[in-house]
Amino acid sequence: MLKINNLCAKIDSKSILQDFKLEINPGEVHAIMGPNGSGKSTLSNILSGKKGYDVTGEVLFENNDLFSLETEERAHKGIFLAFQYPLEIPGVNTNVFLKTSLNAIKKARGEKELDAIQFLKLVKEKAKELKFDKEKLGRQLNVGFSGGEKKKNEILQMSILNPKLSILDETDSGLDIDALKTVADGVNALRKKNNSFLIITHYQRLLEYIKPDFVHVLMNGKIIKSGGPELALELEKKGYENIN
Amino acid sequence: MEEQLKIDFEKKLKDFSYSDQEKKFKETNFKEFLKQGFPNRKLENWKFSDLNQIIKSNIGELTFYNDYKKENQIDKIELISELEHNKIIIVDGKIEKIDFKFEDKDKIEVLVEQGEETIKENINSLINLNNAFSNKFCKIIIKKNYSLKKPLVIYHSTNKNTQSKNTNSRIDFKLEENACLRLIDIFKENSEKNFLNIYYNFQLDKSSILKNYKIDKSINNNVKYSYNNVKQETNSISETFILSSGSKFFKNEINCDLLGQHSSAFVNGIFDLDEENHHEIKSNINHLVENTKSYQLVKSVLEKKSKAVYQGKIFVNSEAQKTDGYQLSNAILLSENSEFNAKPELEIYADDVKCSHGSSSGSLDENSIFYLMSRGLNYQEAKKLLINGFLLDVIEKITDEEIKNLIKNLLGVKE
Amino acid sequence: MRDKQIEDLKDYKYGFSTDIESFKAPKGLNEDVIKFISNIKKEPKWLLDWRLKAFERLKVLKEPDWQKPKYPKIDYQDLYYYSAPKSFKDKPKSLDELDPKLLETYQKLGIPLNEQKRLNGIAVDAVFDSVSVATTFKETLTKQGIIFCSISEAVQKHPELVKKYLGTVIPLTDHFFATLNSAVFTDGSFVYIPPGVRCPMELSTYFRINASDTGQFERTLIIADKGSYVSYLEGCTAPMRDENQLHAANVELIALDDAEIKYSTVQNWYPGDKDGKGGIYNFVTKRGLCKGKNSKISWTQVETGSAITWKYPSCILKGDNSIGEFYSIAITNNHQKADTGTKMIHLGKNTKSKIISKGISAGFSDMTYRGLVDISPKATNSNNFTQCDSLLMGNKCGAHTVPYIKNKNSDSNIAHEATTSKISEEQLHYCQQRGLNPEEAVGLIVNGFCKEVLQQLPMEFAVEAQKLVGISLEGSVG
Repeated sequence: MLKINNLCAKIDSKSILQDFKLEINPGEVHAIMGPNGSGKSTLSNILSGKKGYDVTGEVLFENNDLFSLETEERAHKGIFLAFQYPLEIPGVNTNVFLKTSLNAIKKARGEKELDAIQFLKLVKEKAKELKFDKEKLGRQLNVGFSGGEKKKNEILQMSILNPKLSILDETDSGLDIDALKTVADGVNALRKKNNSFLIITHYQRLLEYIKPDFVHVLMNGKIIKSGGPELALELEKKGYENIN
Repeated sequence: MEEQLKIDFEKKLKDFSYSDQEKKFKETNFKEFLKQGFPNRKLENWKFSDLNQIIKSNIGELTFYNDYKKENQIDKIELISELEHNKIIIVDGKIEKIDFKFEDKDKIEVLVEQGEETIKENINSLINLNNAFSNKFCKIIIKKNYSLKKPLVIYHSTNKNTQSKNTNSRIDFKLEENACLRLIDIFKENSEKNFLNIYYNFQLDKSSILKNYKIDKSINNNVKYSYNNVKQETNSISETFILSSGSKFFKNEINCDLLGQHSSAFVNGIFDLDEENHHEIKSNINHLVENTKSYQLVKSVLEKKSKAVYQGKIFVNSEAQKTDGYQLSNAILLSENSEFNAKPELEIYADDVKCSHGSSSGSLDENSIFYLMSRGLNYQEAKKLLINGFLLDVIEKITDEEIKNLIKNLLGVKE
Repeated sequence: MRDKQIEDLKDYKYGFSTDIESFKAPKGLNEDVIKFISNIKKEPKWLLDWRLKAFERLKVLKEPDWQKPKYPKIDYQDLYYYSAPKSFKDKPKSLDELDPKLLETYQKLGIPLNEQKRLNGIAVDAVFDSVSVATTFKETLTKQGIIFCSISEAVQKHPELVKKYLGTVIPLTDHFFATLNSAVFTDGSFVYIPPGVRCPMELSTYFRINASDTGQFERTLIIADKGSYVSYLEGCTAPMRDENQLHAANVELIALDDAEIKYSTVQNWYPGDKDGKGGIYNFVTKRGLCKGKNSKISWTQVETGSAITWKYPSCILKGDNSIGEFYSIAITNNHQKADTGTKMIHLGKNTKSKIISKGISAGFSDMTYRGLVDISPKATNSNNFTQCDSLLMGNKCGAHTVPYIKNKNSDSNIAHEATTSKISEEQLHYCQQRGLNPEEAVGLIVNGFCKEVLQQLPMEFAVEAQKLVGISLEGSVG
């Protein structure tokens, strides 16, 4: 599904990712773990199409060259990024935002757009599953939301947009244990044989609830070690310093 | 007025041995002033303060010529004793004394200027008036990497029998790279009903720092106008603080051109007005290149029939991306006859900027007074305490500790 | 060539002109033209005298030049001051008698004068060039004693009301364009709501300039008598023409004791083409007088059209406890220029005013908020809150904020806040990541930015306005 070959990324001539390689097949859950400044967020930014990086190498998503696609086209193809710091957009109603984006994706895929009633039904259902306060959906997007609510809102958006590849950028940071469980439930509910996940995290805490198929350790812009779920536990014990 | 102006200008030209260049300069400026006269409310900049009217009603007819041969009273000028300082003493617009006794002699240069050949910037008619009638003006250069050890205090004064006169003074400053100057203006006149017109030019080279504190505290019946024209190169900082209080009328105008990246300008002020005083601060901060910053805070406390005006303008041209401009004015009206006028203006042509302004005016918060009185203070004490706190905010913006304390004492503000 | 025309048409969807023969007064501004207008409208002598008095005054007044947008000199002698569709010389008595071409025009504008609007429950008065062509729903309104008709009709049928109130808010001698209007105004709407009546539907006027070289000078007068309420909508369009057309309307609102007037405008005059050629000069004077105690006047405007917009819908808060509000969205793109804002003049005790202004500039355009808040010494315990936000898109445009604040009363409070910003890259990225293209993303964010104002519009208008906000900014995202 996703193939990353020799990806190098620089920002203001400072090298962040070097010769990065990764392949994700349909249905797999990959976790990328690394300390602060290892290049984790850069990876999610580049995959989602954020501007400002000098990039070389190749990224293929279902055999499409990702770099030739605009951010929204990537979203249309099924890439979803749960942001580490979800943005506040004043004045924009959360429901309206969700409906607009869902229909934009549907339209791009040539599917039938949802009308207001169908949409509200869908949102109601998903919000209930995620124990997301319905009242908040009527409020301005992320404005005045707590850290946890913002993250849950990301997962709600994910479950409504139903992407093929979901990238979770430090979704666990700032979450208490109950919120963490809710988020994990949301992700697990979406785990199907065709949906893949890339979970970017600092700690293995989240991985207790979302069992990854593969764990990669990212240090100084490179994957230095890959393995199964046990690698996460090893990391937790030894720390990043001693993993090699 | 025109007759008087012409007679006085002739006298002025005769009195001094001006070079041809100087004469030409003065004549051009004189003609321009004759054409325009004193600014009035028809000019946007003078909408809230009609100087022509103010001069008419407070002074009447002005004369423009000063006979400096008479003995002046320079020794009678009260100097500030709280801090050691260098000084310049200006009496009736004439520089009587320049004393940099605390400084290295080769680090400061004082030049007597001839006057430009043409009028470079046509700012307003008062600058023309100043150029026409000021004496030979001086230029002070602070050499590279030199920070003055003590502040420079400029005393603006008048002779006791100077009445209904216009006096003009001008000083140009150049701060070379990495130089630093603390400049305090003290206004203490010995006479009434005069119009003082003061004009400063500042050239701030790379990384230089100017701190200008203007203190108008002693009560007098004079009308004043002061114009600071500041040009700032890369990394330079200008800090202007204005304590506007004692004069009948005072308009302080600050023009800052931020010409070099990472330069910044701070303009802060306090209007502490009583009786029928009418004061104004007008600022123009021109952000002309990327990455420049400006910050302005003006607070007013207005008693009786006093009137304060704050016109603050932030201009950002299309090249000046990443500009950070902020401006706030708050006023407390203590009497039903006091008045606060503001025109906080933004003119912006670049999109990646952060600019905001705010303005509020109103009475003292009765709930706060009630709260303090419930803790045992009487009304006057409570009011004093609240005003104290209100003003402290601006005073804390003064970066020079010595001067901050001086001003706190002057205002009777305690922490 | 044809392609280009189609392209242009796409830009301004109301840009067709209707091929209707019109009946015009001779070009030029003089006493004869004024007499001609007055005569054709069969006006009483007092009104003609009033017009001529304004014309006398006009001779000494100068065109103002302090506003930010500068425009080439207008030759007032080269304009037509009266233009009426020829078939209207004898005004039709009902909609059925209307020229079908005219009806078609309004259909194209999305303003069907008959069935559909009835369903929506809005009474419409349509002004085509200089004359009011049709007013709907007359019967329903008449039952409640509400007068909603063209001002020409009001002059004939309700002269006492017109005479009593005309020019009481905008005096004859006010300023150049207002005085010009007083001299040559042709038609407009008249509304009178009797005491205690709550107008059961939205009243609406649609203005359209059709004939070329025509100035449009309509005059609207709305009177809400004691304890009444009315909500009034105004919409405007004009065909695309290369030359600039002048629109100088006067709108006067009067609210008596306990009355409330809500006046909403969606202004979408032809803004000129991408290079700034053509478009309407929209120099309008709108002023409301809260004459009685506890009265309220609320202005809401969405300004997206015109080459130059220059207007300050204002409130004079004369009655004690009266309230003035101003909600504004102004969008400029390409070479458009707008200088708009409001004046809140507090004269009575306990008067309150609120100003929310959202300005968006893109392309090469220039936008100025200019406002005055003046609390007089007698207006004790009054307050004002002002919020002006500007959004810039690109660095070829300008956004300016010029508020004048005068507080002469120590028991009154004024608070003013203003910000200038741009749409952040992060916000755009976030929306794009959720599948929106850059233009959709900008539209969404801008609509969010304008929300506080859009909420003030009546439902039917809000939807239209939201779309306009998006359309106006098309092509501005690089």
